[in-house]
Amino acid sequence: MTARRFRIIALLGISTVFLLAWAFPIVWSVLNSLKTDTDVLAYPPKLVFSPTLEAYRDVLFGSGSILPNLLSSIIISVGTTIVTMLMAVPAAYALARLRFRGKKLAGFYVLATQMLPPVGIIIPYFLVLRNIGWIDTYQGIILIYLSFSLPFAIWLLVSYFEDIPFEMEEAAYLDGASRLKTLWRIIIPQVRGGIAVTVVFVFLNAWNEFLFAVVLSGNTVRPVTVAMFNFVSVEQTLWAKLAAVSVLAMLPVVVLGVVAQKHIVKGLTVGAVKGGGRR
Amino acid sequence: MASTAMTSAGISSEAPRTDFGRVLEQRERRFAAALLAPAFLALLATTTFPLLFLVYTSAFRMDLAMPFTNGFVGLENYRVLLSDERFWSSLLVSLVYTGSTVALQVIIGLALALLVMDMKRGQGWFRVIAILPVVLSPAVVGMIWRTFMLAPEFGIVDFLAINAGLGSKNWLGDPTLAMVSVIAIHTWQWTPFAFMVLLASLASLPDDIYEAARLDRASAWQRFRRITLPLLRPAIVMVVIMRTMVALTAFAAIFTVTAGGPGTATEILNLYAYRKSFTELSIGYGSALAVALLIVTIVISGILFAMRRAK
Repeated sequence: MTARRFRIIALLGISTVFLLAWAFPIVWSVLNSLKTDTDVLAYPPKLVFSPTLEAYRDVLFGSGSILPNLLSSIIISVGTTIVTMLMAVPAAYALARLRFRGKKLAGFYVLATQMLPPVGIIIPYFLVLRNIGWIDTYQGIILIYLSFSLPFAIWLLVSYFEDIPFEMEEAAYLDGASRLKTLWRIIIPQVRGGIAVTVVFVFLNAWNEFLFAVVLSGNTVRPVTVAMFNFVSVEQTLWAKLAAVSVLAMLPVVVLGVVAQKHIVKGLTVGAVKGGGRR
Repeated sequence: MASTAMTSAGISSEAPRTDFGRVLEQRERRFAAALLAPAFLALLATTTFPLLFLVYTSAFRMDLAMPFTNGFVGLENYRVLLSDERFWSSLLVSLVYTGSTVALQVIIGLALALLVMDMKRGQGWFRVIAILPVVLSPAVVGMIWRTFMLAPEFGIVDFLAINAGLGSKNWLGDPTLAMVSVIAIHTWQWTPFAFMVLLASLASLPDDIYEAARLDRASAWQRFRRITLPLLRPAIVMVVIMRTMVALTAFAAIFTVTAGGPGTATEILNLYAYRKSFTELSIGYGSALAVALLIVTIVISGILFAMRRAK
């Protein structure tokens, strides 16, 4: 065997191992969600089995259906996304394009808020929400989700606003358009793509959040990441159903992740590149 | 500061001398203030206010289970904290967890990025599959690992261990193995992040330096050591900083898998602050723990940023 061929085989082997390692737990959950409990618990684990949608039927339409929880997750994620975007788009535009005193400080403040450990935010927040009766409400959860979604969205949007040429705005001003009109008619359409990417990431982060949700949820508002625990208890684990719920919880984010594939590195590293460089 | 920002910011940059220019400038300032106000009010309300309130609560004894004992205690919570063995052990767990997961992510991610970089075909597979773990909720990831991967016998990891002749192990019940498991799970989920970022920066390195090195007959190791590594340094440092911040405040993946157990074997400081506040309902002391975590975060990021500036 030549050294070259050996190299290629080794490369192929290592690649396969890593690809399998990353994909397997997800694929395995999907397979388990299509099994009966007996098949899930089989030893050795079964790769070949007769698939059934029973687990999905049970978790969606059976008693203790998770449909309300999926709805909770959707309301929280959509609500967070809308409120975040309404605030972040204007703020990001101002930070990227306008001149005012204290601009750098404002940008730094947005970044610094991300240093706060979430547990340090939720303790005082829990006390406040308890006093005003906002535990187990959508407004309570969505408000606190702004603590992580806003800084993220602002910085991601700033990077897109900075890419638009100044000439566009200047031409609009010379034509006598007001600032607001220019922002709405000329600038926003230019960053449509960036706004779409930001929406995807804000939704994704809100959907995946767990710590705030576990503290603030109750019988009315209980997203699927928290409701998952109904299927594992000390007495028994409902294996196939748990797998089905996991798959349902993964589905939206996996779809969004694959759709936004090209932008994922930018979305994951936002703030670090820019803000970090400035500090 | 304002003047440098002005010239770079564009529109009517020669204006400020005239009255008209001053009016324009004032209008721009007001417009900026109006655009920033909602977001900044929300950030003040959801981050700065909680921080101040947290520091305030940490000076109280606030026990939701025994409200009659509540009251101002000054620095008492911090005094207790310094002699609290569970605090020190959770800090140690935090440091071990953060240090090992970040090191593993960077080393594996970098090695894999270098490997994939040279691949002519199949890069697309990596790009798609690497996305899967990072977009998932750590809570769901924790749940999947706790059950289908690590459960005794039919869990795949245990199945593999049995077949490898190691025998069935209590992956989440043994203190050492539980720690190894939560570290492995975090590494599984976030190595693709390091991999994707490093692959992207590898791809942006200029080819001509490598061409020159090849002409100089530099070995592969020399090329890596003298060219790739120094050029990648900013990206590596960035990954380290970002991942450190996240690992220090990791919650869901440990909470769902071991809930800090067995005992306090996998209880990181973040989880301890949560348990103290919301399980044991001792909010005042929990707040002090959260402040301690914030201080640790600031110190560690300070060190990392100092390292970033050095060299």
